Amino acid sequence: MANGAQIPSKSSALIAMIADEDTITGFLLAGVGNVDLRRKTNYLIVDSICLIYFVEGSKSISPCNLANTEPVPRLDDRVHPTQTKLKPKDFVNETGPIYSTHIGFYPSIVMLRSVTWNGTAKETTVKAIEDAFKEFTTKEDIAIVLISQYVANMIRFLVDSYNKPVPAILEIPSKDHPYDPTHDSVLSRVKYLFSAESVASGRR
Amino acid sequence: MEEVEGNQRSEDGRKAEENILQFMDSMDSYLTLLDSMSSTLRQGWLELASARHSMGASRVNSALFDLKLHSAVTTLQVAEQDGESPLADPMVKQSHFTLCKWASPNGGKCCSEEIEDGDKLQKKSPQLRHRGLSQFSELQEKLVASSGAPLIVEDQVQKERSKSLSVFGTLVSPKLRGAQFSFETALVTLVEIANMRSLMLSAFAQVRQEMEGRKE
Repeated sequence: MANGAQIPSKSSALIAMIADEDTITGFLLAGVGNVDLRRKTNYLIVDSICLIYFVEGSKSISPCNLANTEPVPRLDDRVHPTQTKLKPKDFVNETGPIYSTHIGFYPSIVMLRSVTWNGTAKETTVKAIEDAFKEFTTKEDIAIVLISQYVANMIRFLVDSYNKPVPAILEIPSKDHPYDPTHDSVLSRVKYLFSAESVASGRR
Repeated sequence: MEEVEGNQRSEDGRKAEENILQFMDSMDSYLTLLDSMSSTLRQGWLELASARHSMGASRVNSALFDLKLHSAVTTLQVAEQDGESPLADPMVKQSHFTLCKWASPNGGKCCSEEIEDGDKLQKKSPQLRHRGLSQFSELQEKLVASSGAPLIVEDQVQKERSKSLSVFGTLVSPKLRGAQFSFETALVTLVEIANMRSLMLSAFAQVRQEMEGRKE
């Protein structure tokens, strides 16, 4: 293995990340974050928060699909949540100030009450994760892609079909989902060597 | 002639065994490193949660991330190794990753080796607060005395570290600094994992090719 000639190293390459907020925050503290001229980052934060929209004054809500959370409750007029202002960039359409209400009983869910605007809510969809994965694995200046294993499970077919040496795809645990070696794409690929079929075919 | 063929076969057999051993060793190291990284990440998440608790959730969240143009200060360098004969399987190619922590965005050299000693000294006293250069002078003197590394590199590293922390405010909790160290350590482990992964896949590809060659 050490007999091969070394190709001169590339210039500095980046570490891309597709993970939950805390993991991304931690690695950004370690200096990994990069924002290019087009304001594109080398990371994607995968939210488990679902934003729900409803018309002002209405008591009914339209829940969207929640990842890793419980079913959405109906809005209760007796609950007096605190209000915090979110940035307009968090939403698909913006025609005015948006205020969020934070339901105290369900801190992982953010309910939207539009003041002057009715818009659709945004969460990190599987499509967004797929697009980010494809983008990071085709960029020449990225050498490693870190992806939380529970996120990789959402796009497992894509991760398992990836077979280039660079960028290297590393599946990492998250706070709520410990690392499971049975799901790791690299170990799945090499376990063929330990399967009964490969042993039997070798003995023939 | 038969002797030459016999020698060739035993040489091939030895090479095959070496590849298998290398594959098994690299897989073992890969799993061990993953375990180590998991516990380092857990430490980091705990410290981050503690920092969020002491500083407030509004001061430690993704809404504060800097979206202005800036380059990463912790990067990688990749070196690819070709085998003696180019093979069709891209996974046989082995890549070696080297981490460059806190390199200057102005084109300074990779300073991962020089800062390692600084890291070791700082980890011994993780509760120190950053209140300007004066509190670090003792650490810097120890660094120069122990390794002879230039002060300039250490100053630059501290400057970059403080810059990363400043996204969350001027005064930050020591727990946030602790989280920064933990995630830095996790990064070092991740690069080792990437190298082990490359070695493992390369060895696996060679073993598989030998097995398929035997079947034919």
